Amino acid sequence: QTEVEETLKRIQSHKGVIGTMVVNAEGIPIRTTLDNSTTVQYAGLLHQLTMKARSTVRDIDPQNDLTFLRIRSKKHEIMVAPDKEYLLIVIQNPCE
Amino acid sequence: MSLEDTLSEKSCQTASIVTVEAAAQARECADAEAQTEPPVPLCMPTVSQQDSPRLAAFLRRVEGMVIQELNKNRQSHAFDGFEVNWTEQQQTVSCLHTLGYPPAQGQGLHVTSISWNTTGSVVACAYGRLDDGDWSTLKSFVCTWNLDSRGLNPQQPAAVVEVPSAVMCLAFHPLQPAHIAGGLYSGEVLVWDMSRPEDSLLWRTGLTDDTHTDPVYQVVWLPVPRHSHRFQLLSVATDGKVLLWQGLSAGLLQLTEGFALVVQQLPRNTKLKKPTRGETEVGVTAVAFNSFDPSLFVLGTEGGFPLKCSLAAEEAALTRLPSSVPLRAPAQFTFSPHGGPIYSVSCSPYHRNLFLSAGTDGHVHLYSMLQAQPLTSLQLSHKYLFAVRWSPVRPLVFAAASGEGDVQLFDLRKSSQKPTVCIKQTQDESPVYCLEFNSQQTQLLAAGDAKGTVKVWQLSTEFTEQAPRETEDLDQLATEVAT
Repeated sequence: QTEVEETLKRIQSHKGVIGTMVVNAEGIPIRTTLDNSTTVQYAGLLHQLTMKARSTVRDIDPQNDLTFLRIRSKKHEIMVAPDKEYLLIVIQNPCE
Repeated sequence: MSLEDTLSEKSCQTASIVTVEAAAQARECADAEAQTEPPVPLCMPTVSQQDSPRLAAFLRRVEGMVIQELNKNRQSHAFDGFEVNWTEQQQTVSCLHTLGYPPAQGQGLHVTSISWNTTGSVVACAYGRLDDGDWSTLKSFVCTWNLDSRGLNPQQPAAVVEVPSAVMCLAFHPLQPAHIAGGLYSGEVLVWDMSRPEDSLLWRTGLTDDTHTDPVYQVVWLPVPRHSHRFQLLSVATDGKVLLWQGLSAGLLQLTEGFALVVQQLPRNTKLKKPTRGETEVGVTAVAFNSFDPSLFVLGTEGGFPLKCSLAAEEAALTRLPSSVPLRAPAQFTFSPHGGPIYSVSCSPYHRNLFLSAGTDGHVHLYSMLQAQPLTSLQLSHKYLFAVRWSPVRPLVFAAASGEGDVQLFDLRKSSQKPTVCIKQTQDESPVYCLEFNSQQTQLLAAGDAKGTVKVWQLSTEFTEQAPRETEDLDQLATEVAT
């Protein structure tokens, strides 16, 4: 359990990171550094988007699979590391 | 005996089987209806302990890759200067509507105040006079236009309410689209329901001992603490009182809390001019609430100095004004004054410490709550400035209404010295007295002038789309200018 906290702390303390969260296979957040309502919003929306991204990749080539998802917006970048059981979501504000 | 055998060859061949490949697919159609429901806030589930070893293993697997991407992102120049336009770009500022009420304009009335309602589709204006005029007998009007309705007639308001005394200020209710409050020259505060033009008066303060004895310059709706759907009204007037009213019974607004500003109780952190003999009240002309701390507010005064005040202040005010509730002294900090009375203050929706003030000296001051001296002072006009407002969407943009008849839009990103756009509202340089941004339709800005006209301006896209990192630029501006 402490290893989990340590790893998340390491990621959260990286330059520009606004928030870090882990979401399970059902889209339910199980660890987060942000407030409740924001976390729930990110978790639900990104879980759906990740599943869609994964099915897009596999529909084009069934031998392929999604390894990483990045969304760049005006204000920051959202990174999703997917897995069979979990999603790791990191929101970063890239510096100039 | 001989038998003849005949042999004949026969062969047979089956015809090749004709095969054709065809594919068939049954297509199923399903009818489905979708409806969104208001989102139910989910509570975070309790962390289950059994997940931890698999969770730890997962994090071990992905940590390296994620940290590598975070670092690469930090140093990447791939997206420098890359901008995407999702909406149609509007290049210039244009006048969308020119609204007026001919009977009021015929009497030479000015537009004294403007308010947008909570849905952003209705604009209301108050008619009165802001210069020498026969105040006491002047009738006044409050008019509303629904800009989204197809039958919009610019010269005929959707609803008109006649008011016996000049209306100085208006404020639409934050939740009820048709309820609007107004402060009168007589010191009264009234609330109307504009959806019922025949019987529109909902609440009034009446003329009691509690009522203001001077013109009410601004009214603001505030949430009642601990009752998020009920609202109370705050009114400020040049009699030095800041009063909180609630509608409690039979159409009467009752005073629930009050503050009084007295010269002797002003915080002495800034040296002010000695008051003229006998003058003890500090006339209040403008109020703005902090967007981050709802109990903190800024008052603009006739003396030209803004005051930082708190609703939670407890010290009793040294005033002999009669009142049914004890009046308190709200001022906590005095800011360095303008060269004349302040007419308007506005707190930034994006920074907890920044606010603007504008007044008769033609200057706009940008203050930080943390210091008495303004961070910058800009001269926008050689005449008076009547209103200043921060943009609700662009942290670095504000608008000011000048006595020279123009609406000036400042973009601190482009220039900190001169306005980015100067919109000429009146042709003969008669003053623009009020302006308000529309928070729902953020490209709209309404301004009212001395000719009795309300013009609704459509702003160009540069004023409605936040640039990347604009909030950080505002923070930087606040810290680098403060020395």
